[in-house]
Order: sequence, then structure tokens, then C-alpha cells
Amino acid sequence: MSGRDAGERTVLFEARHVTRRFGGLVAVSDVSYRHNQGEILGLIGPNGAGKTTLINLISGTLEPTGGELLFEGRPLKGMAPYRRAHLGIGRTFQLMKPFPGLSVLDNVTAGALFGRQPELAMAKARDLAAHWLEFVGLGEKASQPADALGGPDRKRLELAKALALQPRLLLLDEVMAGLNAVEIDEVVALIQRIRDGGTTILVIEHVVKAIRKLSDRLLVLQYGQLIAEGTAESVLEDPAVIEAYLGRRRG
Amino acid sequence: MRALVWVLAAAAVAALAIVPFTLSPVMVQFGISMLLFAVLAQGWNIIGGFTGYASFGNSVFFGLGTYGTAVAMVQFHLSFALGLVIGAAVAVAFAVLIGLPVLRLRGHYFAITTLALSEAVAAIISNLDIAGRNQGLILPLIRGDTMFYELSLGLMVLATLTVLWLARSRFGFGLIAIREREDAAEVMGIPTTRYKVMAFALAALFSALAGGIQAYYLTFIDPASAFDLSLNVRMIIMAVFGGAGTVLGPVIGAFLLSGVSEVLASYITGVASLFFGLVIIAAVLFTPKGVIDAARRLPRRGLAYFLDAVRETRL
Ligand SMILES: Nc1ncnc2c1ncn2[C@@H]1O[C@H](COP(=O)(O)OP(=O)(O)OP(=O)(O)O)[C@@H](O)[C@H]1O
Ligand SMILES: [Mg+2]
Repeated sequence: MSGRDAGERTVLFEARHVTRRFGGLVAVSDVSYRHNQGEILGLIGPNGAGKTTLINLISGTLEPTGGELLFEGRPLKGMAPYRRAHLGIGRTFQLMKPFPGLSVLDNVTAGALFGRQPELAMAKARDLAAHWLEFVGLGEKASQPADALGGPDRKRLELAKALALQPRLLLLDEVMAGLNAVEIDEVVALIQRIRDGGTTILVIEHVVKAIRKLSDRLLVLQYGQLIAEGTAESVLEDPAVIEAYLGRRRG
Repeated sequence: MRALVWVLAAAAVAALAIVPFTLSPVMVQFGISMLLFAVLAQGWNIIGGFTGYASFGNSVFFGLGTYGTAVAMVQFHLSFALGLVIGAAVAVAFAVLIGLPVLRLRGHYFAITTLALSEAVAAIISNLDIAGRNQGLILPLIRGDTMFYELSLGLMVLATLTVLWLARSRFGFGLIAIREREDAAEVMGIPTTRYKVMAFALAALFSALAGGIQAYYLTFIDPASAFDLSLNVRMIIMAVFGGAGTVLGPVIGAFLLSGVSEVLASYITGVASLFFGLVIIAAVLFTPKGVIDAARRLPRRGLAYFLDAVRETRL
């Protein structure tokens, strides 16, 4: 069942027995998986399962209390989040975090100025930012203040900010939450285009239809533990997953 | 419009530069104080206005600059120029050492901790023989108000050009991103710790140079005057009143408020400080984003500008 083409593809990122405790609570518990280059990996699980915590561990916002994270075989332990961004790890925040006082364009320019690419001149960075705003469909709102954007547009802005640092591993934390069916289809298409550009992507999502369509493989977390891993079809039919996740899915 | 601002600014600097040759010595003395306040406000602008860390302790850098310069000149008989360099170096080193732990704090915690810095350093200095303990130090006397004035003006211009560079550079962009949302800035590749410490050090540099000039100009320093806590409040009010996070705001704020306070002090000595306080409260209520913002938007919005301002401050 597993290990089908594990040997043939290059592994970009690997988690080895990763654990994160908050006092007595084990938010992520002994999680191990490999993320292949160019793959879209879906991460699902009920509320509080530890999905966001896992992204925080990868991006460096939090350090694991146990286990190891490897990016291109290189341990990430102790590496500051900004250095992980320079390596090419980009993320969005589930609770969106725009720079409220800056224009939409300047929000994205920050990523272009400081991301993975070598230092850019300000004008170049702004051009690049404008490109990513077009890409996510926010081109016309470039000069608006970021805190004037509505919910769906804020999601797009999160995406554009993460894209502007030209990530090699993109971590998306519920970028479709609160979107309507049409908007979800648009974002699914966007994510596919990002992958076609060569980016490896981890998608956290509660919208099953979207995650099924997007994911090459699915990971399922429950109470911090990885309870299933495999193709969307096999995982979504797994009785344990149905019990754990689908049975308690919100909405 | 933008070009016009810079032409006006250049003209203003030229006009300021000839003050010692045209106006009375009293005006020159007032000018020195005003210019040094503008430097302090601009220094605060770097860490408070751009980076969003409202320091209530920049007076410690001013004090270290004062003492560094004085000790170098009095105890080691070094030149004034070398004294300035030493004072600035001490303050910058202190900013880096203290900044690493203190800049981990946010909001009120940061403000309160920085507030304690001046007191702590003043207490240490009061016990150092080399710094003259409580008695302070007396520097060699020179008659050179014009020199001190031009030096202060030069320093103010340098501080303002530095802030202008910040407003356009990658580094400054990083500071603004930190102010707006630090955790988001960090994951976008901005080395937040290093940038915050650098901003603090830059603020320290300008504050200390102002202190060094003040020491030689007044020729007498003691811990109480060098580490004067009220300096913090004044530089912050000036920067915020003029427009924190803008290039010219802190300078304009320092000029306007120095002027107002001087006029009030000479006419109605007793109630001057009370009145000054009221002026500031009114200014902060009605123009919370600084006079630069007010000047830009007032003509368009009219009285509605003030109403918006009062609403935004949520009274
Ligand atoms: N910084 C923190 N301190 C303490 N507990 C935390 C912290 N972050 C997360 N937790 C806890 O860890 C558990 C996992 O939270 P996490 O946010 O990772 O869940 P999630 O799978 O993303 O949930 P959701 O679907 O609601 O976003 C929760 O019980 C949460 O309360
Ligand atoms: Mg979450």
C-alpha cells in the first residue's frame, strides 16, 4: 500500500517522530511523514487536532519538544523562522495576519524584498509583488489599505504574501475557510497553478471536496497523532478516519 | 508636490544655518536646544515610529553620550570630536546589549522596562569616581555658541537624512513590517531580532551625539540633568505630535512645541507647563496622526478631519 514511488522521488521535507507539548497537552504527537518534491499533500483532521501547530513547527514559529524536522535532509532545529523563509519555507496564517497599516501592494512587497530570492531593489520588489497580486486576483486592490479588505480578499492576500517570497515548500492553513463554492474553485485552480510552477505544497483544509481534488496524498491527524496516510480515496474511506474526522466535521 | 517639500526643506535648512549670523545670542541658544530636541525626537522616531517599539528610555542614550564625551575630555584629555565618538560608541554598545533582552518585550512591558533604564544607569554613574559621582563633571569652557549651533543643525540634518533613507530602504521596510505585525514579518524572511536591535542602536547613536554636544555646550553635567526622565516624555510628544513614522514630522513637532513652550515660559511662567500640557492633550486628541497627516488631509476634509480623529481615538 505505502511506498509506491517513495524511492523514486526526491524528498523535500521530512518529519521524524515530531512531538509538541503545551504543558500536559500533546498537540502534535510522534508524527512522521515525508513530503516529496512537487507534491500536494493534504492535511485534515478535526478542530484542535494539531494541524496549525504542525505548520508552526515547520515554519519555526514554534520549536518541537521532540523529534526532528528535515528540509532537504538538513535539520531545521534551532533555525529562526526568517532563515527558514530564506531556505524557501513559506506559510499563510489561519488567523490572517496582514500588515494592517500598509497598502495591499506593500504587504506583498515585504515578501518579495525578504524572501528566498537574492536582494531586490525596491522597484523590482514592487513589480514582483504586483505580479503576485494579479496572480491571486487582487490586482485592482493593490493600492487599498490592507485592513480595508473583506474576508475572502484577506485570504488571497495571505496567499500572495507567502508566494512573494518564492517558497519551495508552501504551507497553506485553511485558505478556503469562509469562501463560497465559486471562490473555492478559484483557489483550487490557483493552488494547482502554483504546484505546476514547481512548488511543493501542504494544504490544511476542512472543505473535503477541495482537498480531494487537490491532494496527491492525504495525512489525517487526530489528537495530535497521524492516524492515516495515503491517497484521498483510500483515506477518506478508512472507517477510522470517517469516525474521527468526517463524523465530527464542522458545518 | 513631493519635490516642493524637499525644496522647502532645503531652504529651511539654509535659513536655519544663517541664524547665528543674523539673530540674537538668545535665539541661538534657543535654537541649539530646539535642534537637539529635534535630534532626540528623530532618534525616537526610528525605534518608536518606524519599528513600533515605544521606548520610554532613550534618555539613557542621551545620558551615556553626555557622560562618555565628558569623561573622555575631562579625565583623558581627549578632543571633543573623539569624546563624541566615545560617547556614541558607549551608547550604541549599551543599546545592543540591553536591546537583545529588552526588545523581546512588547507594548507596555517594553515601555515600562525602558523607563527604568535611565534611573538604573544614573545610579551606577553616581557611584563612579571617574564620572565625578554625584558632583558631576566640569568640562573645559569654550565660547562657541555658533559652533554648537551649526553642529546641532548638522546632526539634525544627518538624523533626518537617515530617517529619509529608512523610509525608502529595504531595512526601513523591514522595520515597518515589524511594527505592523512582527510574527508575520519574521516568517516572510525579515530578521526581526537583528533589525530591532539595529534600530535601537541607531536611535542610541543620534541620542548620544546630541548628549555629547549638550555636555560640551553646557560645560557642566551631573547625573540628574544628564539622565533626566522628562526628556523621554518630551521627545515622544514631539515625535508623535509631528507624526511618528514620517520623515519630517518629528522635526516639525520639535520645532513647534519648543517654540510654544518657549513663548509660554516667557509670558506666563507659572502656568506655562500646565498650559503646555493642555496644548499637547488637545493636539493629540485632534491630530492623533500628527501634524503632517493633518496638514495633508485637513484642507480636503475640513472640520470633519477633527471629528474623525476624535472618533478614531475612541473617546
Ligand atoms: N501556543 C499554544 N499554547 C497552548 N496550547 C496551544 C497552542 N497552540 C495550540 N494549542 C493547542 O493545541 C491543540 C492543537 O491546536 P491546533 O491549532 O494545532 O489545532 P488545529 O488542528 O489547527 O485546529 P483547527 O482546525 O481548529 O484550526 C489545541 O488543543 C490547542 O488549544
Ligand atoms: Mg488550525
